[in-house]
Amino acid sequence: MHSHRVTFILASFSLFFSTAVFAQTGTNVGAPAAPSKPLNPDMSINFLGVARMYSGFALQEAEMQFIADVDPYFRANALFAVSKNATTGEYGIAPEEIFFETISIPSLTVKAGKFKAALTRHNLLHSHAFPFISAPIVNTELLGDEGLNNAGISAAALVPLPWFSEFTLQGFTNSSTPFNSGNSGDWIGVAQFRNLWDLNDDLTLEFNLSGAQGKNAYAGKTNIVASDLIFKWRPAVGGKYQALIWQSEFLSGTMRGKPSDDSVDGWASWLQYQFAQRWWAQTRYDMTGISAATRANQKKRLSFLVGFFPSEFSGFRLEYGRTEQVATTDHALALQFNISIGAHPAHAY
Amino acid sequence: MKRHLWIALSAILFFTPTAQAKLKVVTTTPDLRVLASEIGGDFIEVESIAKGTQDYHYIEAKPSYMLKINKADLVISVGLDLEVGWLPSILQGARNPKVNPGSQGYLEAGSLVRRLEVPTGNITRADGDVHPAGNPHYSLDPIAMGSVAVGIADRLAEMDPRHGAYYREKGQSIQVRFTKKSAAWLERLKKSKITQIITYHKTFSYFFERFQIANPAILEPKPGIPPTAAHVLEVIGLMKTHKISLVLVENYFDATIGKRIQDEVPGARIASVPVAVEGASEVKNLDDLYEKLVSVIEGKNP
Ligand SMILES: [Zn+2]
Repeated sequence: MHSHRVTFILASFSLFFSTAVFAQTGTNVGAPAAPSKPLNPDMSINFLGVARMYSGFALQEAEMQFIADVDPYFRANALFAVSKNATTGEYGIAPEEIFFETISIPSLTVKAGKFKAALTRHNLLHSHAFPFISAPIVNTELLGDEGLNNAGISAAALVPLPWFSEFTLQGFTNSSTPFNSGNSGDWIGVAQFRNLWDLNDDLTLEFNLSGAQGKNAYAGKTNIVASDLIFKWRPAVGGKYQALIWQSEFLSGTMRGKPSDDSVDGWASWLQYQFAQRWWAQTRYDMTGISAATRANQKKRLSFLVGFFPSEFSGFRLEYGRTEQVATTDHALALQFNISIGAHPAHAY
Repeated sequence: MKRHLWIALSAILFFTPTAQAKLKVVTTTPDLRVLASEIGGDFIEVESIAKGTQDYHYIEAKPSYMLKINKADLVISVGLDLEVGWLPSILQGARNPKVNPGSQGYLEAGSLVRRLEVPTGNITRADGDVHPAGNPHYSLDPIAMGSVAVGIADRLAEMDPRHGAYYREKGQSIQVRFTKKSAAWLERLKKSKITQIITYHKTFSYFFERFQIANPAILEPKPGIPPTAAHVLEVIGLMKTHKISLVLVENYFDATIGKRIQDEVPGARIASVPVAVEGASEVKNLDDLYEKLVSVIEGKNP
């Protein structure tokens, strides 16, 4: 199984490089605008490296993404991640998101494969698109390092309202924390209601509610509720040089069953300010243990970040974080680089 | 759980947009919008995604645009990879198979024009954010936009044959008008004695080729990379040796760079100019836009 995957990747590599010469001189009117675009998938590679105070330098992760229309009915997306196994310390390759989705059904997208669940906007992001170097504490504590990302099916429909409104239903295999029922027949159900309003040409408001439910290892059910509130400002005049994002999320999970109900909840709120064409300044507060009985179960963090992006394809970010838990305070300083090559990225909003 | 999921899925399948009498057209830019609007008249409804004050290379894929395209019968894009960073995301979110690239409801206007600056041989991003399919800024060439008008008219006529003759006549008349006016603009520009102009980005290639003006340097050291002090010095040197007296800065770029050049090159004129319809409040259509650019170069409209 593993060797098959590697063979596939090597084959795709050679296919890409053998056709990567864009010799194109014709400028005839009526010719398709990009006639020599090869039929192999759009390919891109992204990698992240991080230097942390005390723990040194590491190649954080590399991602290889292939995207193409399959036929007039489907599009496929395959993204492999190369990262270090936390226990063995060896690099391994794993499918991060591999799915196909419909492109032929009006107002609805159905997809199947392995993909990230629509449970907070942050859970949908790949690590190179994280607004800060690490995910909010509550996302990691509740959903694990990789977030909720299993094999499953999904249907996302536009709701006919005057603003952008989308309802998504997803079903995933029950094989990750905080579910892990141990029974392969069990499912995790996820639902999301996403809404965006253009308050004016410069400012957008987004409000999402989502939830998940599935059996857990204690023969009970795990319930998760989540919400996002996002303001994005980028002026229609001068928007090349300034923008502001204020994003907040709330996430709460309860595991019912033996030995006793257990819960993880928390929130995060961050500001991202673009103050020049290639510069961002950001700050985030995030915490877990809103309803914790004792302060021992609380964790709070304050972060500051400065980012410099020489182009759309490279970025450098310096982050300072101060984490408080019980009586200890941790300080962390990290410098991350973010490099992309290959197909032009399509930016999600 | 499984049964509930299926019931919900089938319920969702019945949300389909209702049929409309008028053709709904969405263009990526206001330049294409005014063309489509003049051709389609009262028989179509047309909206644009980007605004004339924005840099078309970097538009955000706002979900409200997905909603517009969800209801569209026809999407008209500039193409030549100008919208590569944002249109694919919008089309994907729009979930409207009628306008998927390759179908009748999708028109890439770039396929209707003669392309300039198509890279040959190997291309690399070491040269900046190059446009692999050629320079996409043909909307500043009135003759190219005349061809686009005819192409849009043909597509509308295919989709709505009942008003086909009307669309085609409008498309032809735009082409004739732009051809006539271009001859007059060329005369005026020749009289202006301006033969070389510096710009910020390679936005004017088609305009300059049409009106026989050279573009010996741009302020960006490479496409998409903001000007560096060293590069600006080089440009200043070039302006002095070649007696270049005019710099046009596309008005979505920071024009303060012009101040520096003005200080160093005595007599140089630096003008921040709209390069799109509605890029300035008085620029209501393409005719206004070309007229504005010609008069700025003439020095009549500082
Ligand atoms: Zn360009």
